[in-house]
Amino acid sequence: MDFGGLRAIDSLSLSIDEGQILGLIGPNGAGKSTAFNCVAGVYRPTSGEIWFDGANITGAKPWDLCRAGLARTFQIVKPFASKTVLYNVMVGAFARTDKTDEAEAIALDILKSLHLDHKKDFKSGALTIADRKRLEIARAMATKPKLLLLDEVMAGLRPTEVDEMIDVFRTVRDSGVTIFVIEHIMRAIMALSDELVVIQFGRKISEGKPEAVAKDENVIKAYLGDEYVAS
Amino acid sequence: MDLIFLLQDVINGILMGSIYGLVALGLTLVFGVLKIINFAHGSFLMVGMYVAYWIVAYTGLHPYLALFLVAPIMYFFGYQMQQWLIRPIFVAERDVREPITVIIVTTGVWYVLDNLALLLFGPDYRALSPNPLKGEMIEIGEILISTPKLFGFIITVLTAAGLYWFLLKTRMGRAIRATSLDRDAASLMGISQWKIFNVAFGIGTAIAGIAAVVLVPVYNVYPTVGVPFDVKSFVIVVLGGLGSIPGALLGGVIIGLIESIGPNFMTSTWTEAIVYGLFLLVLFFKPSGLFGQKYDW
Amino acid sequence: MTPQSFKKTGLALLVLTALALPLILRSPTYLHILIMLYLYAYMTTTWNLVGGFAGVLPLGHSVFVGIGAYTSTVLWLQWGISPWIGMLVGGCLAGFVAYLIGKPTLKMRGAYFALATMAFVEGVRVIVENVDQLGPFKLNGPRGLNIPPLPAGEGSLLAFQFATKEPYYYIILFMLMGVVYLTWRLSRSKLGYSLSAGGEEPEAAEALGVNVAKCKVTAMVLSAFLTALAGTFLAQMTLFIYPKSVLTLDLSFELAFIALIGGRGSLAGPIIGALMLRPVTEFSRIYLSATLPGMHLILLGVILIVVMLYQPRGLSEPLTRLFNRLQDRICSTKTGGAK
Repeated sequence: MDFGGLRAIDSLSLSIDEGQILGLIGPNGAGKSTAFNCVAGVYRPTSGEIWFDGANITGAKPWDLCRAGLARTFQIVKPFASKTVLYNVMVGAFARTDKTDEAEAIALDILKSLHLDHKKDFKSGALTIADRKRLEIARAMATKPKLLLLDEVMAGLRPTEVDEMIDVFRTVRDSGVTIFVIEHIMRAIMALSDELVVIQFGRKISEGKPEAVAKDENVIKAYLGDEYVAS
Repeated sequence: MDLIFLLQDVINGILMGSIYGLVALGLTLVFGVLKIINFAHGSFLMVGMYVAYWIVAYTGLHPYLALFLVAPIMYFFGYQMQQWLIRPIFVAERDVREPITVIIVTTGVWYVLDNLALLLFGPDYRALSPNPLKGEMIEIGEILISTPKLFGFIITVLTAAGLYWFLLKTRMGRAIRATSLDRDAASLMGISQWKIFNVAFGIGTAIAGIAAVVLVPVYNVYPTVGVPFDVKSFVIVVLGGLGSIPGALLGGVIIGLIESIGPNFMTSTWTEAIVYGLFLLVLFFKPSGLFGQKYDW
Repeated sequence: MTPQSFKKTGLALLVLTALALPLILRSPTYLHILIMLYLYAYMTTTWNLVGGFAGVLPLGHSVFVGIGAYTSTVLWLQWGISPWIGMLVGGCLAGFVAYLIGKPTLKMRGAYFALATMAFVEGVRVIVENVDQLGPFKLNGPRGLNIPPLPAGEGSLLAFQFATKEPYYYIILFMLMGVVYLTWRLSRSKLGYSLSAGGEEPEAAEALGVNVAKCKVTAMVLSAFLTALAGTFLAQMTLFIYPKSVLTLDLSFELAFIALIGGRGSLAGPIIGALMLRPVTEFSRIYLSATLPGMHLILLGVILIVVMLYQPRGLSEPLTRLFNRLQDRICSTKTGGAK
């Protein structure tokens, strides 16, 4: 993927299997957000293709992607701040139904599974950051996605909140949703991912199970520098 | 149709167009720095024209000398307007991506100013008097050039050049440019955002005052005189690119040319419709205008 | 009494009063004032579909009023088609025009969109003012179109003209109630949710499956259709239309101002705005325009500025809070404000 003269991603090849949690990590500036946004339909890759569920979705519009079962969250959360929590989730639920009462039922369901239902009438702009992130996921879940793209959801959370969020991820995965997650908080992503892909300077430098990747020389070099490649 | 007349129309169009550009210059500066479109700009022009009119009527000064009084007065006026009316909204709408409320308030100001003028001065058309420039023409061969319009052109170029120099070379000018590029970064470097906004708005209004002085010898003054200029200024500013000084002048000249050459081929009202049509076309296809940048705001 | 039944009784009382007013107020002048009030409330409510729900600022909405007024009038004068049918034709035409200009303009930033709508209405007005005839349609330029009144004392439903004010009153009242009901249903529908989501955070809404651009265009088309109906009503009420009466920026601004002061995006906002501002403008125009011309516009502008500085979302929010407190007193409940 090229931005003018800058090649942000150079021949990156990823694949996710259904029901998996795939994590994408790498030092800052590696190109993770770019990769994410290409998949999410924000950028049209200057070369290469993206396939989802057997269909070529390269360059598709965000709302069409949502209809196809691909949902995403935003790194800087974007709640509909002047509206209630329930309203927020209902907007997502409307992706699957045209009826208001059905949407409300779906929304209440999701809120309950993510333990936000007691705050359903709160103005979303007044929520804590942890709750807002939870709301962001709830909203995306209401669209009944097959694949959920999560963009640095843990950023800005306290350790207890991170633990709570890990539980949320597990709930989501157990409901049958495939997850593609970008993250910086190592313990979260190590604990959750079935597989990891590590990129640096727009290229893949390692992939595999978390334990294997953690020991990979290239990965250690990328994050910590040459001196740390111990025996 | 005679080539001479066409040439005369072209010259006229360029002269008048440059004056339009001068009017739009203040607007484009305000937009470039504050990222707001001041819908009351035409009313500011009207205020400037009345101020110029009264100064000349009471002191008998030559209008171009009155300029040195009008500009500071207008600067003060604009500064206060920004401070008391627009700044509170900016503060309140800090997180909002597009402060539409500012547009609304400036529209309200437009209404209030125009009708206040109507109330205070009555609907009469006033012609500048004493008017030392009235009807003065220069003859070059068979071509007649209106002197006040020629001076208008010169003043426009001088003002634009002066503004350019100011923005490039002076400390305040650089601070203004910094703020217009990234207001948060600039404020982190110790540049007071609010002061810059006030100054920029003041300068923009002062330029409107200069334009008023230029117009007053050739245009009658009445309460809603600002309205056609307001609309033209928007068209020019979008055409030339918001925030661009050469864009404002070029845009003005284009409009001026359409208005002066157009009537040879169609009625003047169709010319007006063409200006609106051109405006809509630019908005549809190249909203950043001829010289503007793609703003991410 | 529960809050729901309180609201319902209140609403019922309001409606009954409105229906009964003509029987109490026999004066045609007062009826006329009320009719104009309802008309403005109607037009502001339809404006709100775009300006409130879709989150953009249309400042050229009077173009749809003009399309409605001119269409039905031309069809009546030239071909004797009943203004009721003309009303529908005008509405469809307005909707079509809205579609054409909506598609490109609704993609623009807020200020650009406002400018584009202004340019459009001004452009249309300039054209109408300067052509006497557009194809087979006689528009009569600046002199406008006169609808010959029926002989005094006669009224005809088909011709949409009545001898007294009462029928006009009920027609506009029903139109107003209809449009308020429609807005209420819309706000609870998928389109309503999508629209306000798209207006608030377009990127997030798109990621949730909302085609924001398409929703905005839909809102604009709907609004245009309904606004045009008001144009026909206006034409039939005043029996005389000319470009500066129905195709002006003044009217566009007035509608926008009323909705903004009352509270854009809310159901009651436009009506509150109209209720508060129309009497102010009417009375100041009647009593002050001789001595203080333009005063009513100054008042409107000043009120607008003051409200925008202190309550940018309009007056409906504080008024709703007051209403909730009143409701609590009467029902002895505790309705919290928004948390």
